Amino acid sequence: MQTFRYDHLPTEISTVHVALYTDVENSAALRSRIVRASQLEGAEGDAEREAVNFAFIEARLICSVLHLQTAVYQALLAQAQGALRTKTVHSEILWALNPTNNITEAIRRYGVADASKSLIVVRIGSPDLEQGDVNEQMHKVVEGTLAPLDELSDITDWASIKKYYKLNGEAAVKAAAKDPAREQAIVNEIVTSSVAMKSVMG
Amino acid sequence: MPGRVKKRSPLKAPDRPYIALGLEGSANKLGAGIIKHSTDGSTLVLSNVRHTYITPAGEGFLPRDTAQHHREWALTVINDALNKAGVSLHDIDCICYTKGPGMGAPLVSVALVARTLSLLYNKPLVGVNHCVGHIEMGRQVTGAQNPVVLYVSGGNTQVIAYSQQCYRIFGETLDIAVGNCLDRFARVINLSNDPSPGYNIEQEAKKGKRLLPLPYTTKGMDISLSGILTSTEAYTYDKRFRPTGPSAEDGEDIITPQDLCFSLQETVFAMLVEITERAMAHIGSKEVLIVGGVGCNERLQEMMGVMAKERGGNVFATDERFCIDNGIMIAQAGLLSFRMGHETPLLKSTCTQR
Amino acid sequence: MATQAASPTIALIEHAEKISQGAEAKIYRVQLHPAGSSNDASPVATEHILLKYRFHKQYRHPTLDASLTKSRVAGEARALLKCVRSGVNVPGIRMVDAPEGVLGIEWIDGKSVRFLLGGGAEGEEGEEGEVDDDSTEDTAETEEDPLQEFSITQDSVMELIGTEIAKMHQADVIHGDLTTSNMMLRLEDKAVDLYVLERAFSSTHPQSEPLFAGVLRAYEKKMGKEWPAISRRLDDGESRSTARPSGTALMLCVSETARS
Repeated sequence: MQTFRYDHLPTEISTVHVALYTDVENSAALRSRIVRASQLEGAEGDAEREAVNFAFIEARLICSVLHLQTAVYQALLAQAQGALRTKTVHSEILWALNPTNNITEAIRRYGVADASKSLIVVRIGSPDLEQGDVNEQMHKVVEGTLAPLDELSDITDWASIKKYYKLNGEAAVKAAAKDPAREQAIVNEIVTSSVAMKSVMG
Repeated sequence: MPGRVKKRSPLKAPDRPYIALGLEGSANKLGAGIIKHSTDGSTLVLSNVRHTYITPAGEGFLPRDTAQHHREWALTVINDALNKAGVSLHDIDCICYTKGPGMGAPLVSVALVARTLSLLYNKPLVGVNHCVGHIEMGRQVTGAQNPVVLYVSGGNTQVIAYSQQCYRIFGETLDIAVGNCLDRFARVINLSNDPSPGYNIEQEAKKGKRLLPLPYTTKGMDISLSGILTSTEAYTYDKRFRPTGPSAEDGEDIITPQDLCFSLQETVFAMLVEITERAMAHIGSKEVLIVGGVGCNERLQEMMGVMAKERGGNVFATDERFCIDNGIMIAQAGLLSFRMGHETPLLKSTCTQR
Repeated sequence: MATQAASPTIALIEHAEKISQGAEAKIYRVQLHPAGSSNDASPVATEHILLKYRFHKQYRHPTLDASLTKSRVAGEARALLKCVRSGVNVPGIRMVDAPEGVLGIEWIDGKSVRFLLGGGAEGEEGEEGEVDDDSTEDTAETEEDPLQEFSITQDSVMELIGTEIAKMHQADVIHGDLTTSNMMLRLEDKAVDLYVLERAFSSTHPQSEPLFAGVLRAYEKKMGKEWPAISRRLDDGESRSTARPSGTALMLCVSETARS
């Protein structure tokens, strides 16, 4: 797990905890738990929402740590400016990752799916939130193996990313078709840049 | 590009007093001015007389009628200038006239007067570039040393700076001049041409409250103004437009002619200030001089002043005596040129519209 | 530093290193994502970005200023993305805060073409003093040609410029403010190292291409994730000309982003 501190952001969102889980066993259960938590009322609902108060991200659709950080940062900005397009800063990350403005599609594609094997779990909060506590909370909801973030490169599903971002016909991508490493570097750049400028995509 | 060392002027102090007559008539103003350069290096405006051809509201000035006006008024205006200066044509060292740019027919009619006087009194002619006239007079009046010049009038919109022995155009309008844009809109809303359509737009703009979106087109150091004129005009066909102001039952969402004048000025002037600032940044100058008829506009001067101040510099502007086309600026630029040894032989005393 | 009520992006700028100021924008260098504290074996390295801040213009009507700033940031970001997708060498986008007038892009280590052609650094804040005419020529210093650092000829730079602009125009992007200050020559030391070795091989050991390929194979394996970027620059160079180092790539920056 990694923790990033953004000192120039409002305190309540200045700390970002990021963990990569592989071999996740309970994706389907986790997904229905998230859906149920959003519908429960009263104190029970609050407790349940707090228990799953994370962004659960389909890890195979993430190109790089920079790609992820870029989406998180744009979500943080939207939260700080009172310009969220979705309900929470966590769901805003999923919106930022998706190439279109369709929120349902963003959650379906980039959120946890029944078949998800690897998840990136993000928790945004104040600096009072200890890494250890977040770690513990995550372990309570995700059944999987905590892995270092740089293992992401083994998980990335480049074909799906190219499909979602409609990159197969793109000049820059076609030019590098013979060299997978180079092609991936280019796809990563296009996708990261797209996420960064989504707020003005027009 | 301008360097960093202040250079001594190549022009020596005059060994005797020099007097020049300047004649201007490139558009609808006919001007005659007399200037004196003294041995102590000082410059004195002896007289500066002007007569403007004013057309009815809703009409512009046409070349033929304007030339006619200049021919009718030439002798009166020149005599008036001589009388006010207390000199006779025999005392004059050279006769300076506007060679161009400007409207063909009015230019030619004034050049003809200049040639005639030159032959009658055996005085040398000096053809003067109208833009250089504005700049030299602006420098003389304001004391600006090496400014970026914004030249804004009915026929010209240019950002000019002196570089490698020449005034060079760094940016300009890609279509119509800013004064032309304002004048034409004044006609659309039927403002008077007296004293000038631009002056009346400025007064109306002061009463405007609402900033309406208009196209803002700067390209590098150039601007385009025809689109904004069309768009401003289009608002006059809007359902919300009230040509005579709001009526009792109108709510907030209406558009008045005053709002349009305000929006037009705010947008066009912002574009002008922006390209001027780019030129200043490009050549590293902190001074800006505004010349030309639109340069009288106090809102433009104010905006330019804010920009110059932010850059740690100054704006220089002149009042309507020198901003609006006049004879004295032609006399000033012509006399400087004459003292450097330039004359325009009779056979070459032509005019050019560009 | 007072960050009271300031927007997050303005607070970020307050901690950034100011690089230059143009008529339209101020340029800063900053690390957007701080290095993470971690219980992983290898914490993630974090790159520098360039912030282009289109500051408020006091002379402009506030409404006009706000909408203009926002649309210019958006326009620049869209043009950049189009270039990235079309394979034009431009910096990648890292963050956008349009209401504040800030665009964050990839930091390019390199020199502006203006500087490399002896046009001096982009210096607005320098001592200007009395500005006057024609003393330009004597500022041209007779120091060594800055292009030597890149071991590239002036002609090759011109060729690079033409190629990149063509790629940009083929992507239907109009720059609007192309100047030599807006073009950077990027120096990638690692790729240059390889290039120099490749040259040494071919000059001292003719027909040694297969040998060098072996070097590259091992290099690629060891470099891991760093390899694609180096490889890209190496290829960029080789495909165009053998007369210049493969580590040099021309970057087009969209208006006023370039530095010395």
